[in-house]
Amino acid sequence: MPEGKFCNKTPITTDEQLKATLGDKGGKQYYEEMNHLDVDSDKLWASIQKTMKSRTKTWLEICAHCGLCAESCFLYQVNGRVPEQVPSYKIQSTLGVMVKKKGKVDNEFMQMCMETAWSKCTCCNRCGMYCPHGIDMGVMFSYLRGLLYSQGFVPWELKIGSGMHRVYRAQMDVTTEDWVETCEWMAEENEEDWPGLEIPVDKEGADIMYTCNAREPKHYPEDIAEAAILFHVAGENWTVPSEGWEQTSLSMFAGDWECCKDNVLNVYAALERLKPKRAIGTECGHAHRATVIEGPYWAGRPDGQPPVPYIHYVEWLAEALREGKLKIDPAKRIKEPVTLQDSCNYVRNQGLKDVTREIISYIVEPGYFVEMAPNKEHNYCCGGGGGFNGIGKYREQRNVALRKKRDQILDTGCKLVIAPCHNCWDAIRDLEEEYEIGIRWSFLKPLVIGMLDVPKHLLPPEE
Amino acid sequence: MFKKILLATSGAPSTFGAARVAFDMAKRYGAEVVVFNVMGVPTKAFSQLVNDVRTGEEIEVDDEYRAWVEEELKSTFEKQIESVEYAKIVTTTGVPSREILRAARAEDADLIVMGASSGDSSAYRKGYPGSTLQRVAKAARCPVMTVHRETASYWGGFGNIVFATDFSKQAENAFKFALNSAKELGCDLTLFHALDISGKVLDQNAIEDKLIEARTRIRETYGPLMGDFKDFDIEVWEGVPYVEVVKIARERSADLIVLAHHSRELDPELASLGSTLEQVILRAGCPVVSVSKPDKV
Ligand code: SF4
Ligand code: SF4
Ligand code: SF4
Repeated sequence: MPEGKFCNKTPITTDEQLKATLGDKGGKQYYEEMNHLDVDSDKLWASIQKTMKSRTKTWLEICAHCGLCAESCFLYQVNGRVPEQVPSYKIQSTLGVMVKKKGKVDNEFMQMCMETAWSKCTCCNRCGMYCPHGIDMGVMFSYLRGLLYSQGFVPWELKIGSGMHRVYRAQMDVTTEDWVETCEWMAEENEEDWPGLEIPVDKEGADIMYTCNAREPKHYPEDIAEAAILFHVAGENWTVPSEGWEQTSLSMFAGDWECCKDNVLNVYAALERLKPKRAIGTECGHAHRATVIEGPYWAGRPDGQPPVPYIHYVEWLAEALREGKLKIDPAKRIKEPVTLQDSCNYVRNQGLKDVTREIISYIVEPGYFVEMAPNKEHNYCCGGGGGFNGIGKYREQRNVALRKKRDQILDTGCKLVIAPCHNCWDAIRDLEEEYEIGIRWSFLKPLVIGMLDVPKHLLPPEE
Repeated sequence: MFKKILLATSGAPSTFGAARVAFDMAKRYGAEVVVFNVMGVPTKAFSQLVNDVRTGEEIEVDDEYRAWVEEELKSTFEKQIESVEYAKIVTTTGVPSREILRAARAEDADLIVMGASSGDSSAYRKGYPGSTLQRVAKAARCPVMTVHRETASYWGGFGNIVFATDFSKQAENAFKFALNSAKELGCDLTLFHALDISGKVLDQNAIEDKLIEARTRIRETYGPLMGDFKDFDIEVWEGVPYVEVVKIARERSADLIVLAHHSRELDPELASLGSTLEQVILRAGCPVVSVSKPDKV
């Protein structure tokens, strides 16, 4: 059973392995090794028998091959409507066959499955809304990804991504020290403009525990500063944990279920340690899905809920604006056509569609908000979801996928796109880079800070 | 005055002027130069793909690439590195402004020197609206020197410093830096204020009055802080501030312009619109130092 040095069935669990795998440029050796990786059919079949839920079984059986799901999939639309991109075909030809053959499949088949699972589906769950039987490929592909991961058939970057989570408990190599240091740094960098600004670490019993996406301390710490400024202006009693601050889960995209559980338990442990009244996550869709929507099930929480009420940033922001904790200066509202990217992960998967529009009603001058078509839970994936953004091997396919969002944005005529999701933000940036349609994109935090009506006592003393 | 100078450079010729000034100053003060390069802007979160800051090309950062960049920098600045007592090369990936600030903090730098275009390649602009310089100048704890023109690199030392004030709090910090530099370097110092009359309709008498007022204000604000330093004069001109600053610098053959940087604007795109600092940097024939915070002056 030949397993490669990098491509194998064993997850990355040490810093050394991680660095070594990273050092394999573009996963060249990794993918070469994959060509020789054996499939452990017995284990695969055993795993299917043990983990495949009756829902998935039923779904595979009852599909009427009616094709009603075809148009629902943006990847079908942008790829010339070829039959290979019909959702039901994608799952029947992969998971369906794997089950039918009782796991007796070969390397070539597994590689085809990998390509389908990671480059032909972003797990956006849109098709599930259009199938008369409610069959959801997003859910089934997530399941398939898990099976593929356990056999070592996973894109290089995602093997590394889940390795990062295992080693650093963050999707990037941000250590506890780095994180705490970054919080100090950001408070320091902004304290002059915002006297009294603090980023309290490990404060027990605060009203809010804030968690974020590791990209923030790594590359965009101003996002943390912006969250701090808004909590500060809103007068919130808040804190961040020194451990358990990273809310994202690349392991979810990789199909590394063990690691998913470990991550979310780490966040929940922080909640149990610091006992905040509630938790708020940053503007990130998949982070929310991982810690709030799916996390409780991974963690085996009987009520299906996190240990304390855990809300997405848009929910807090809408509340703060509604209750007047944050006030918008009407003169500074957005007065240009602006559109909104509905993130699949918290809009379609959790229904937070109205709350984002409520925010829009405070920050955009009436008449300037232009909806994408379709929108809300019917919106299309940004084009880079489910890990697609990060996989070099499928860059071309991803770039094709971006076309749907590009056209949707172009149709609105807007030059400004609000994208309260890290991954959507990235995808929209990439689509601008790729197609140069002349747009700008933003999270909510900097926009709101720019239009706040700040109480006098919070401003720096007049010079 | 300077123990550690952080030279932020892409290694491209547009930053050679900055490098020359940084190394010359280091030689003069026995300071250490940290040659700092941000190899690329990470494009895809956890992946190793970055957009090279110079070419905009998508590249993959690995040990080999890192070593190559370091080698390039080493050979580009070889002579200069040899000419100073301490120098080291540090490379990283990330958003340039953020990484420059991070490095300045980690190294406890006393001065950041950058070419006006360090990290402002088109790829960078596309991906991240806003200017590296604006972000660095706003948040840095230490003075930030920008050298826009290759010809601006100074050879024989500083003789004349122009300090331009708008009477803000940050201008006090900038003043301290200007005064200390003038003392240290034995330069003449011009305290300057540009009376902004752009877009205003004022009659000549009103202008005259305001000029006198500003003169008095300069004298009262900075006079008492001069100590025994005598080589200074005061000028107030009316016009569009950046034009006037550049004009007086030219008239005095200034080798250095010192300005305050202050902006509460978080969006650098907006902050840079009409920003005096940025305009001065682009147009001045000499290095420009901007000071925002009091810590390192
Ligand atoms: S989940 Fe989304 S991407 Fe996947 S098949 Fe369904 S519609 Fe297409
Ligand atoms: S719409 Fe549903 S039943 Fe019809 S082909 Fe698609 S998955 Fe099968
Ligand atoms: S990136 Fe945003 S739009 Fe795309 S799948 Fe994720 S949440 Fe949905």
